[in-house]
Amino acid sequence: MSTATDVPAGTKLVDQPSAKWFLISSVVFFAITTFVGLLLSLKFIWPEFMGSAPWLTFGRVRPLHVNGVLFGWLLAADIGLLFYVVPRICGNRLWSEKLGIATVVLFDLIILSAVYTTLSGTTQGLEYAELPFALDVGVTLAWVMFGVNIFMTIATRKHEKLYVSLWYTMGAIVWTAFVYISGNFATLFQKGIGQANLNWFYVHNAVGLIFTPLGLALAYYFIPLASNRPLFSHKLSMIGFWSIAFIYVWTGAHHMLHGPISQWLQTVAILFSVMLIIPVWTVITNFYGTVSGHWDRVKASPILKYLMAGTTFYLLTCFQGPMHSLRTVNAIVSKTDWIPGHAHMAVLGAFSFFAIGGTLWSLPRITGRPIHSDALANRSFWLMLWGGLIYFVSLWVGGFMQGLQWNDTSIPWVDTVMSMKPYYVARALGGALIFAGVVAFLYNVFRSLGRPEQEGAPAATSTSPAAG
Amino acid sequence: MPANPLAKTDRSAMALFLAATAFFFVGGLMTTVVPALTEDAWSKPVAGLRPLTEQEQRGRDIYKREGCWYCHTQQVRTLEADVKRFGWRGVDAPISTPGEYVNDSPHLLGTRRIGPDLSRVGGKYDRSWHLTHFRNPRDLVPGSIMPPFPWLTDRDGGKEFEDLLAYIQTLGRATDWRPQKDYEK
Ligand code: HEC
Repeated sequence: MSTATDVPAGTKLVDQPSAKWFLISSVVFFAITTFVGLLLSLKFIWPEFMGSAPWLTFGRVRPLHVNGVLFGWLLAADIGLLFYVVPRICGNRLWSEKLGIATVVLFDLIILSAVYTTLSGTTQGLEYAELPFALDVGVTLAWVMFGVNIFMTIATRKHEKLYVSLWYTMGAIVWTAFVYISGNFATLFQKGIGQANLNWFYVHNAVGLIFTPLGLALAYYFIPLASNRPLFSHKLSMIGFWSIAFIYVWTGAHHMLHGPISQWLQTVAILFSVMLIIPVWTVITNFYGTVSGHWDRVKASPILKYLMAGTTFYLLTCFQGPMHSLRTVNAIVSKTDWIPGHAHMAVLGAFSFFAIGGTLWSLPRITGRPIHSDALANRSFWLMLWGGLIYFVSLWVGGFMQGLQWNDTSIPWVDTVMSMKPYYVARALGGALIFAGVVAFLYNVFRSLGRPEQEGAPAATSTSPAAG
Repeated sequence: MPANPLAKTDRSAMALFLAATAFFFVGGLMTTVVPALTEDAWSKPVAGLRPLTEQEQRGRDIYKREGCWYCHTQQVRTLEADVKRFGWRGVDAPISTPGEYVNDSPHLLGTRRIGPDLSRVGGKYDRSWHLTHFRNPRDLVPGSIMPPFPWLTDRDGGKEFEDLLAYIQTLGRATDWRPQKDYEK
């Protein structure tokens, strides 16, 4: 396997408006929806914060934050990055830029409508599936448009070998389609516990089979390139991929441990959750193995910092997950603030970090304009890292204490709420740092877009960590 | 490495596509469709369950619209802590069973407890308690972080409050779990 090669940053090869517009749109929503999250964190300290207008109440703003971050930012960023990455690996161009542009327009219309529907209280009342039926149809359509574009690009590829990023991309496209349909349409035909089971199948796999494979597709591409090292082991990546494909889908019921759902489903979910250690271990060994012995490069590059910190958070998240699906641990942490701590480490710490690293790498190569400031990129990284750590740790510690208090039934409920105050203050502080980091990132991206294009002769049209 | 049956997926997008789909369907069907077909308890209502009245249904829609379910669960789990904590006036709360939920769509079981579980709250407090509580929770429970809902209690003569109250008072009643029948109105 050859070492990764790439044209220098700032060399524009071909026009890639679809990738560019998806990235721009995602970064804007990243800033907006993180800000919404910060506002929410303040409501935990001052419940009357933002007055008492119906559309600014907690129950309506929360789904805006969650859906906005998941779909408006992360999914859009992943799509934009894959529009850049997949053609590079395949040695050709995106199948249709026109279709890509249509996808970004549709996607943004959906997100803007979703802002209105969530704040007005129009909701299906199911986690991650709040958007009303019409918008669900729109999302499905956008996903099909994206999938067709990517599959056609792969079908017409010049390099025969499918680099591991392509497996994850294709897996994610297929799984996302089914997972999204189960969570947003199949649930309409079920009631009660059957519906709850499907709902958590969807919620869990939205992370496990949508954001995980998309994020790993990107990390498998960007880590070798940004560190200028060959991928550590092809065989490991194969084991990792197929174990994710097989294991993840069984675990949804671990959201209902001890709940009114069949024991055998709970046990199956626990067994498979514990097995998730296998894919995580392979992925982590592969990523660390790739940069091993070259940590000086990580020190020098904000892109690698994001990617390797993301790797570490991925490891921690996926260690935590199996841990708290054990019945005894679950009896303490389930339904507490521990859970948002865990979720934020996955979505922000792991997958958003992969996407930010990828954006900093790709944007100059898409636009022909170098990143405005590496120093600023470093600063945004440290802000997000420290903000994230404060956020995660305060909720883990607080959530664990909360769980212990709940198990002591002599403590009145509201006392358990009040004792969370210091942790909520720390969380809001962490959130403020994260937001500052996101603003720095947004500013960096926009200043970069405003720079003059650099002249440079494109040497090759393809770059793939596996090319050669 | 011809011994590896998945080696083909290295070069053939179609093979990869088919294998990835197959893997997904094995786990997906086993954990969602199979239980829906085999678990009779999921569709068999408990004896005391009756359909919601129109007013109670409107109240449930308000509960959904205002996102009460982001802060409140509706499930007493098989844990000592739940049974003790969500019972009241010395009586333990019965553990939730699938049969209580058969009419529910969307289900409102919830995943997070910023506030306490509500599955046994029907009849715990009377109308005037809830009226004050929804207008401003801190008037009754200092230190609460539940948001105030003045638009429910004060708009249109508090019509939405009445609907929501009607729904809240149904919670847990299907099990008729109070030996003294000491439910508040
Ligand atoms: C931000 C989270 C939050 C939201 C949203 C919320 N609550 Fe609460 N709720 C709490 C907290 C915290 C308590 C405990 C303190 C108290 O009694 O005010 C509570 C208590 C309650 C209680 C009293 C339970 C008992 O057993 O004492 C009821 C009833 C209730 N909430 C109903 C609702 C309804 C109905 C809604 C939606 C209109 C709602 N809550 C929205 C946080 C929330």
